[in-house]
Amino acid sequence: MGIRVNNLIKAFNQTTIVHGISFDVEDGEFVTLLGPSGCGKTTTLRCIAGLERTNGGTIEIDGRVVSQPENDIFIAPHERDLGMVFQSYAIWPHMSVAENVAFPLIARNVDRASIPEAVSWALEVVGLSHLANRQPSELSGGQQQRVALARAIVGKPKVLLFDEPLSNLDARLRDRTRAEISRIQKELAIPAVYVTHDQAEALSMSDRIIVMDGGHIVEVGEPRELYRHPTKKFTADFIGAANFLTLTCRDQKWFAPDGSSITLDPPVVGQNGEQRIAVLRSEDLRLAAQSESVQADRVNTLSGVIEHIQYMGPHIEYAVKVQDTIINVLDQIEFARNASVSVTFRPVDLHLLPNT
Amino acid sequence: MNSKRHHLTSPQPSSPVPIFRETSIFDDGRVLGTIYLCTFIFVAALVAIPLLALVYGSLRSAAPGQLGEWTLRNWTSLFSSGVLGTFYTTILIGLASSVIAAIVGTAIAIVVHRTDFRGGPIVTALVSLSFFLPSFILAMAWIIIGSPGGLINGVLETIFDADTWKVDAYTKSGMIFVTVLHQIPFVYLMMRGPILGIDATFEEAARAAGATPMHVLRRVTLPLLGFSITSSLVLTFVLSIEQFAIPALMGIPGRISVLATQLYLLVSFPPPDYGLAAAIGLALSGLTGGAIWLQRRIARSNRLTVTTGKAGRLTLVSLGKWRWAANTLCWGYILCALVLPVIILGYVSVLKYFSANPFEGAYTLRNYVFLFESDSTLRSFWNTLIVSGLGALLGVGLASFISYFTLRHRPPGYRTLDFIASLPFGVPGVVIGLGLLWAYAYIPLPIYGTLIILIISFITRFLSYATETVGGRMIQIDKSLEEAAWTAGATRLQGIRRILVPLAMPSLQGAYFLLFMAFFREIASAVLLYTASTSVLSTSIWSFFEQANWGLASSLSLVGMIVVFVSMYLLMLATKHRPSLKLLDRSKPSTAK
Repeated sequence: MGIRVNNLIKAFNQTTIVHGISFDVEDGEFVTLLGPSGCGKTTTLRCIAGLERTNGGTIEIDGRVVSQPENDIFIAPHERDLGMVFQSYAIWPHMSVAENVAFPLIARNVDRASIPEAVSWALEVVGLSHLANRQPSELSGGQQQRVALARAIVGKPKVLLFDEPLSNLDARLRDRTRAEISRIQKELAIPAVYVTHDQAEALSMSDRIIVMDGGHIVEVGEPRELYRHPTKKFTADFIGAANFLTLTCRDQKWFAPDGSSITLDPPVVGQNGEQRIAVLRSEDLRLAAQSESVQADRVNTLSGVIEHIQYMGPHIEYAVKVQDTIINVLDQIEFARNASVSVTFRPVDLHLLPNT
Repeated sequence: MNSKRHHLTSPQPSSPVPIFRETSIFDDGRVLGTIYLCTFIFVAALVAIPLLALVYGSLRSAAPGQLGEWTLRNWTSLFSSGVLGTFYTTILIGLASSVIAAIVGTAIAIVVHRTDFRGGPIVTALVSLSFFLPSFILAMAWIIIGSPGGLINGVLETIFDADTWKVDAYTKSGMIFVTVLHQIPFVYLMMRGPILGIDATFEEAARAAGATPMHVLRRVTLPLLGFSITSSLVLTFVLSIEQFAIPALMGIPGRISVLATQLYLLVSFPPPDYGLAAAIGLALSGLTGGAIWLQRRIARSNRLTVTTGKAGRLTLVSLGKWRWAANTLCWGYILCALVLPVIILGYVSVLKYFSANPFEGAYTLRNYVFLFESDSTLRSFWNTLIVSGLGALLGVGLASFISYFTLRHRPPGYRTLDFIASLPFGVPGVVIGLGLLWAYAYIPLPIYGTLIILIISFITRFLSYATETVGGRMIQIDKSLEEAAWTAGATRLQGIRRILVPLAMPSLQGAYFLLFMAFFREIASAVLLYTASTSVLSTSIWSFFEQANWGLASSLSLVGMIVVFVSMYLLMLATKHRPSLKLLDRSKPSTAK
């Protein structure tokens, strides 16, 4: 049954943080709330957990209404049957690893005899069986993170909630733990809501991403769809920092700001003088010296000057100035600063945002 | 979005679970609500009763419990030359002693923590120990040393055989000297944290810019500490002007009055003038309250600048040829404030008759024998243990509730609770005593002349010490630790019992020790309230000394301190277990990589 959020409103004093948003999370689905800080994603999650009282709207967990201020319904967090992983991990420092993991069972009055088995199962799932008797202060950040995860899943909750759980880990550990969380969630098939501002986390883990900004939902979709075919400029920019190119239509043809003609696939019909914003991903673009001939399918060409170069290792990041627009290009070929170059791309690499 | 339609097509599932809840946020809201209400009423009564009684008393023409009429005479009398003179003396002594104490205390803290001074840990331990030496014991010792009939004059007399040189402790400078000795540990302990907690990168940046260690100390460290020094200066000023024991023991014989002692004299000696005393008490509270408000303002702005809390490796300044000065400063202080007083008390306690020359003295143990034969002194031991032991427990309990409600739960009106609970911090002990004296002349509760009224008065006076200690820890315990317990299925009460209390335990113990020592040391708020049967150690020592029985006062002081330190040590052993608190501040950005 998952989670159903309908017209959720949350205000602190006079400031409204969440402006009546609605979404569902299906059974076993992994949904990410993605957005910049202050967009209301964490507040939404805390409302689902019951750590904040809402000001309006309905929240259902597993078919049961847990929050509906209009009818004075509010179920306390301890009765919502949740597993939650906090940004700070919130590992209780006065309990051993095993005691931390056993706590949700003890608090819910589970039959005492079954607790050791459940604890060792949960620790095994996260790969910490050998550390059961350690004190939290003896654990690394990554290990504490897994204890938090074990503690969240041990009671086989109805919902898993993640509040930016990876933001305190270093980059390499973050990648590993990301895969781990995904795997465990899929194995247990518990619906999960995951809050993050990191687009890589959102793209790699989610079944669906909900992009939020300013307390509103901007766009909802599967990771691929949102990345390749966003319908909002905000989405395109927030997920994978896109290049934006304003195209102008003249005589049924589209032109870039530098005057070059642009071919689209599939073709888009426009009216004379109409302007549309096109999204271009840096990794789809290639650079070529202006005299050089280009690959046959890269029929679109913009001419510009290299303004800025950053050497990143696997690729080089170029900022190319095309008329008044800066286009970022990722390429492996070396070019010098101030060189005149052509930026080339295929018609399918171009995605037009819908008219607003 | 589409779920609006959803909501219409599928009506709410008619689940069998009861979904209508208390209006309070959590299940056990009723329990917590009741505790909150009780705490609120209790704290309000604790604070409001003596203060309102004082206001009432200051507007009445007669003593408590007697018929009188409304009058403004007491308030206009504040501007009589006698009272204005007392104001002047109070502020003069307060300013002089707080400035000197702030300078010397800061100097000791810097020498111990920021130079290559040897023996820093011993100095720290001894200064902290002298913090617990009651001011009336310190004053007694220095009276024995420096009064007209005291040691120094005795020695001078034998050497010069004449009255050419005389020392007199019963003077303003004598009072300032002892007050300074008494306040230095306070300044030291207050300055220690900021000095150790200063961000090492500030100093490293100055070092990298080419400054010598001495330069860094003068041009970077001291200015950075400016706020903390000012803040401790103001607080020391408050403690100095509300000081009762030192001006009472040293000022009254020398006919030097400060506000606290004038109030005491007005009540204790005929002809009493309770109304004027109440007006003076309120004026004195206004003075201290204003100073505390100022200090809070300073402390708040300080928080924005220096306290990063990142303890780095601080470079020590080499003392070089100034080592003798540092040694004189630190060891000289410990000699004057701790070693000398204790030796003098020990010496006087075994003398039959006072003599400045130890080779001419007649020695006896009768003072100690008397202590254990006298019922009244034995009773005062028990009274002290009850008042300090039990009273401190009650105080910590109340402080924990206050901290929980003002910092964690925050139900409606928590700000008011916070404000009320912080009020008595600015009220001098003798003023609280007077307020309770007024109040319980009218309130039909038979607690006057019992230990209960002493406990009430001590808790009122020191409540904010306990709330600061407990609250300081509670605010550090990350909120998500409790929230994690709720989402894991724990009720609010379970979360408190299983998570919050164990994590706050060190601060509860710390607050208990603090209150225990404070109650044992306290004399100002007891002096107007104790009776022969409810005398505690401090008041017993006090009355022996007032009867000029230096021997008994000294022996009781020494035995009392030993008893208290031993019981504190035993308590500390019994509560050795301390959880590791390293993880408490996880959510702070400093730990994020």
